[in-house]
Amino acid sequence: MSGAPAPSTSSAVAVRVEDLGMVYPGGVRALEGVDLEVRDGEFLAVLGLSGSGKSTLLRCINRLVNPTEGKVWIFGDEITALSGGDLRSVRRRVAMIFQQFNLVRRHTVLNNVLSGSLGRARLLPSLMLTFPQSERDRARANLARVGLEDRASSRADALSGGQQQRVAVARALMQEPRLILADEPVASLDPALRHSVMRHIEALNREEGLTVICSLHDIDLVERYATRLVALRAGRVVWEGLPQQFDRTTFKEIYGEDAEPASNTGF
Amino acid sequence: MAAGWRKGLARLQSIGIDAVLIATLILMVELLVVAFSGRRGATGLLLTAEQILDLLNYVWAAVAGIILAGSWNLFYRTLGASPGRALVRGVPEWESELEWTQTLRGWFTAIFIEFTFFAGWLITELDLYDFLTKFGKAADIVRGLAHPSASVLHEGLVLLVQTIFLAFMATAFAIPVAFVLAFPSARNLTRGTFLSRTAYTVSRTFMNFVRAVEPLVWALIFISWVGIGPFAGVLALWVHSVAALTKLYSEQIESIDTGPMDAITATGAGTLQVLRFGVVPQVVPPFLSFTIYRWDINVRMSTIIGFVGGGGIGYILKPRVDLGEWGEVGTLVLLIAGTVWLMDIISAKIRERIV
Repeated sequence: MSGAPAPSTSSAVAVRVEDLGMVYPGGVRALEGVDLEVRDGEFLAVLGLSGSGKSTLLRCINRLVNPTEGKVWIFGDEITALSGGDLRSVRRRVAMIFQQFNLVRRHTVLNNVLSGSLGRARLLPSLMLTFPQSERDRARANLARVGLEDRASSRADALSGGQQQRVAVARALMQEPRLILADEPVASLDPALRHSVMRHIEALNREEGLTVICSLHDIDLVERYATRLVALRAGRVVWEGLPQQFDRTTFKEIYGEDAEPASNTGF
Repeated sequence: MAAGWRKGLARLQSIGIDAVLIATLILMVELLVVAFSGRRGATGLLLTAEQILDLLNYVWAAVAGIILAGSWNLFYRTLGASPGRALVRGVPEWESELEWTQTLRGWFTAIFIEFTFFAGWLITELDLYDFLTKFGKAADIVRGLAHPSASVLHEGLVLLVQTIFLAFMATAFAIPVAFVLAFPSARNLTRGTFLSRTAYTVSRTFMNFVRAVEPLVWALIFISWVGIGPFAGVLALWVHSVAALTKLYSEQIESIDTGPMDAITATGAGTLQVLRFGVVPQVVPPFLSFTIYRWDINVRMSTIIGFVGGGGIGYILKPRVDLGEWGEVGTLVLLIAGTVWLMDIISAKIRERIV
């Protein structure tokens, strides 16, 4: 392992990952012995080839998949030891943004945003798709933040990819999260639209101090938005450092000798 | 150790398959020999297919099959791979280039298929002569059907309405039950806990059992339960529809995009909320389409259910068939055919719109 240690700020630890390992049923090993500490307010970018375990790492943090080894703490709660209502109440503070947006395509944009408040909604009304006026106001406000207030009553699948991802950001905001996990949030968007989504995530990080863990594969985006990087290769952390320390040698180390940076603006 | 054990099991498997195939071929040959030997039974008549099947030497065929299969598998280097070996371990490399006529396996398969047709012809007692020369009796029926009588039209129309509603009620009552059962019957939703895996096994087993029993049998059960009449028919079709719809619904659930489920789970929502937001919106349109199709099937099935006393138009069709009143039968058949045809068109149109 090379690179510098994490910045020596004294802020609290947001996420701690200890000796995390994941073997999928069927025997594919996705993660092995991952140790990680993410400080409150960091924007941590996770790098690596597809299949290197980035997605699995993010999904282990909020337990969308259950790691087979190791422990994860989120703001002091050991999420790997929780189940049922306790697990859900930790998840409420952790929003997730997905590569494929994962909106409920047949629901309205507003309903999709409101689904971010399901964790604290009352069960029966929420099953009837009824939400209190206060939540509806909040949902509209969050839609306005991502610039989509006029699309509230459109069906989600009527929106373009970039707009859908912004709805997903608004859904994440509904959770009033302290941590955002973003799994390749702009990989399925037109390159020209990537910053429109990344800027919103950046604003949450810079202006509201939310911790962000974001897997990315575009080096330009990493250098522009991240405050720290970790790189995975074959399920292991192979490099950890600051964006300024990332260079051609590190790139080869992470992506292999045959790899070339997709754009030459980064170096 | 494990490898050797697995190899032995594979060898046993291929011998087993070959033994069954060879024994079956031997029995089919024996069947043909007996049939063409002109042997007569105790009554002096030629043997029927059932009697011949009863005469065959099953034990000897099995013994011969096992011995021949064993030797073929033992000497597969000279004889070429047997069908069982080819199935279990794949066609060996040195044979992959050969035409079927160049291998024993090819000839065996060809002869086996030939004899399946010969034996099938005899066992099902196909008789081209009867088929071509004895149309006379059936001509009455066809003539009757072609000249529908108006005398039964009124009663027929009334019962046709009953048939349609019978099918409708059975389908409608089946929807909520199938909807609830579909979730525990979907593999992708029941991988998590021991409880959910048990629910999957129980509901799948139960549904397969219910579906395996013919609606006709359900009708008989419900007729002795609630008496002859359309209610028994509704219940019979209901039970069958629940099973059929559960299967269709759960297969639809198994093919959903799990992304929205992940997203809703990640918000800290509970299981019911995840199903409501992550699953239900994706499956309701196809569910509607299946349900309308099911109603269509139930209209057709209720005719047969009526035959045994389950109400609807089939109920008055049966006595007229028994009495040979072919004109009236013709009227009823035309009514049914017209309805089925109409329902088919309507349901196709609606399904087109929904999906």
